[in-house]
Amino acid sequence: MNRKSKELIPPGLVYIADSITSKHNILGAPKASRAKWAKDLNLPKETTTIFFAGCGYQYTRELESLMSLIQKADKGVIGAEMPMRIAAFQKKLGVDLAGMYLKTLAKGNGTDAQPLRDAVKVLSKLGVEFGYLADDEPCCGGLLHYSGLQAEFAQNAQETYKRLKSFGVKRIISIIPSCTHALRNLIPDYVEGYDLEVKHFSEVVLENIQSRELRFPREVKVTYHDPCQLSRYLGLIEEPRQILRAIKGIELVETDWTKGEWATCCGGGGGFEVVFPELSQILAANRAKELVETGAQIIVTQCPGCIMQLKGGLKELKIDGVEVLDLAQIVAMAMEV
Amino acid sequence: MSIFTDYKKELMDAAHNDRIRIALSRAIASYRANTNKALKKFPHTIKMAEEVRVIKEKAISEMEKLAQQACESIEENKGKAYIAKTADDALNIIGELVGKNKLIVKGKSMTGEEIGLREYLEEHGNEVYETDLGEFIIQKLESRPMHILSPAIHVPKEDVAQLFSKITGQELQPDVETLVATARNLLRDKYFRADIGISGSNVVAADTGTLFLIENEGNIRLATGAPPIHIALVGMEKLVPTLGDAWKVAEVTWRYANYSIPSYISLVSGPSKTGDIEKVTTYGAHGPKEMHVIFMDAGRTNLARHPILRQALYCLRCGGCLYECPIFAVTAGHFGDKYFAGIGAVWAAMISQNVEKAASIAYTCLTCGRCKIRCPMKIDTPEMIVELRKLIAEGA
Repeated sequence: MNRKSKELIPPGLVYIADSITSKHNILGAPKASRAKWAKDLNLPKETTTIFFAGCGYQYTRELESLMSLIQKADKGVIGAEMPMRIAAFQKKLGVDLAGMYLKTLAKGNGTDAQPLRDAVKVLSKLGVEFGYLADDEPCCGGLLHYSGLQAEFAQNAQETYKRLKSFGVKRIISIIPSCTHALRNLIPDYVEGYDLEVKHFSEVVLENIQSRELRFPREVKVTYHDPCQLSRYLGLIEEPRQILRAIKGIELVETDWTKGEWATCCGGGGGFEVVFPELSQILAANRAKELVETGAQIIVTQCPGCIMQLKGGLKELKIDGVEVLDLAQIVAMAMEV
Repeated sequence: MSIFTDYKKELMDAAHNDRIRIALSRAIASYRANTNKALKKFPHTIKMAEEVRVIKEKAISEMEKLAQQACESIEENKGKAYIAKTADDALNIIGELVGKNKLIVKGKSMTGEEIGLREYLEEHGNEVYETDLGEFIIQKLESRPMHILSPAIHVPKEDVAQLFSKITGQELQPDVETLVATARNLLRDKYFRADIGISGSNVVAADTGTLFLIENEGNIRLATGAPPIHIALVGMEKLVPTLGDAWKVAEVTWRYANYSIPSYISLVSGPSKTGDIEKVTTYGAHGPKEMHVIFMDAGRTNLARHPILRQALYCLRCGGCLYECPIFAVTAGHFGDKYFAGIGAVWAAMISQNVEKAASIAYTCLTCGRCKIRCPMKIDTPEMIVELRKLIAEGA
């Protein structure tokens, strides 16, 4: 990165970008802390089809802690300048990311990676054969692309492809919308002869549940929030809805206008939440309000960023008793895995 | 980072302003309802929008040729036409035509806003009246427009009543009808006393030299019809090859601006003329004796050469994208520069050449892409934003 870019790119994004290029994940987490969620699931590594976990759900708790600090500071005296200087700010307040990971790890396998655990259990029960690269899973680098760091993204894209190929990967089942879009649509632009088949979790589930009886443990009203990248970038609008409609006990209630390709963004797109934390919270509350007005008891979505935002939005609105869950968690409950 | 700091403060002040949010949530609901109704009644608009995209793609590639052709057509119609390479050139041409101490009535023009036309004319000793009601309010508030079609979208009626009370010296109630009548009375005689009327144009047909002016209030008809001189400032991206093309562009524009049909569409191709006395053609019958059109480049041909960012020039200025932007919904035009929301970053960077402002806007955009779903031209703003961030990061 040259001097000019350091001046104009919000440092929060530069920090994330540096983490991706140096540590292969968005938070710069030490390698040992990764893939812990899957330790007891005994997933094979050398397989042609892999489950791609991505960063978001693995670091949910860390991201939540960090965002809450950023939000507090954004409203406080440090004010406007701070989110642009997040890396320096972390040092100043003594925020120790590595320490945060250790603390999180000490708590064992908490609920933060639950969507991942549920997703692999669902896939297994549906008879899908797949493995998981665990510590060797590369970072898709999507945030490099959205930060405007194209050269870094291009390099990361080639390394990602090379690493996946070195493990004999042919097919990818990806769960994070941003990773799915990067692996399916962005990385191929930078890799000659890209030949990986990339499917989203919801596509694979829909292909395999046709003859199954799915029943949610209780009668419940559910609404669905479309993540921007899944609906408008990847066009996966009907798949999650067909899955939800196939589950007995679930009544799908939708917003009248802001759904599918017209869904309102949760306010957490492309690193926005790091640069404009307070504004991001306002947008999250606006979206949460639209969803809650459907009368739903559960908001289902498929993106760790959306989940974090919408939970924050509900808190902002002081609404208790509405859950925000990933589709994988819903399907897992309906399949009793 | 001082531009960013100021910008972020402005943005957050707006986000905490409940009046902006209330005004916008009403506007968004009514925009969506009206547009759905208009598109339902005239479903051919969607197909026509696809045709217009093709027309615009081609026209943007040959803007200079079309500008030349339009100039010839207008001269043939006995108007005067000019090509301004830069914003300063445009201001100088208009400045020379206007001179000093003139009374000017002006229709709303984003292109005029872009180059600070009103301020320029005022600095040169002229009295300028914005005649679009929203723009009139903005001018009197010494504020800046917050939406391309509804510039005073963020000002509630109570504030307008207070403002008009101050101007008239009478205690006015926040009753919309009274306020509209007040503006009408304040501006009525200006049209007929004015030396010059200034407008922009929504689309221009190069083959006939015809300017299309779409409006509902009727102020543009009066401002371009009553004074003895009409000057139009037009961005070169508004040019299309034929009159038939221009009709399509116009219809798609107003439909996505939430109208089935606007009250007025004026087509102006030259000065007013008559041959009713002995068939001798004489100019300046009831309308203006002189008509001047300035086609302005100011970075547009340069922008047209960029394979991704050129999409910004396809924009019809219907304003539909703004109603779909989650950030605009809480901040109005504070998220933007001369033009608003994500696409505004491209204009700030490439037309206004304000890189820091462009970076601030570019990193505000969520890249959520709902604007693209609304856009009749399917302009891919997220794609442009990522490209712009790339250019910024590379220091280009």
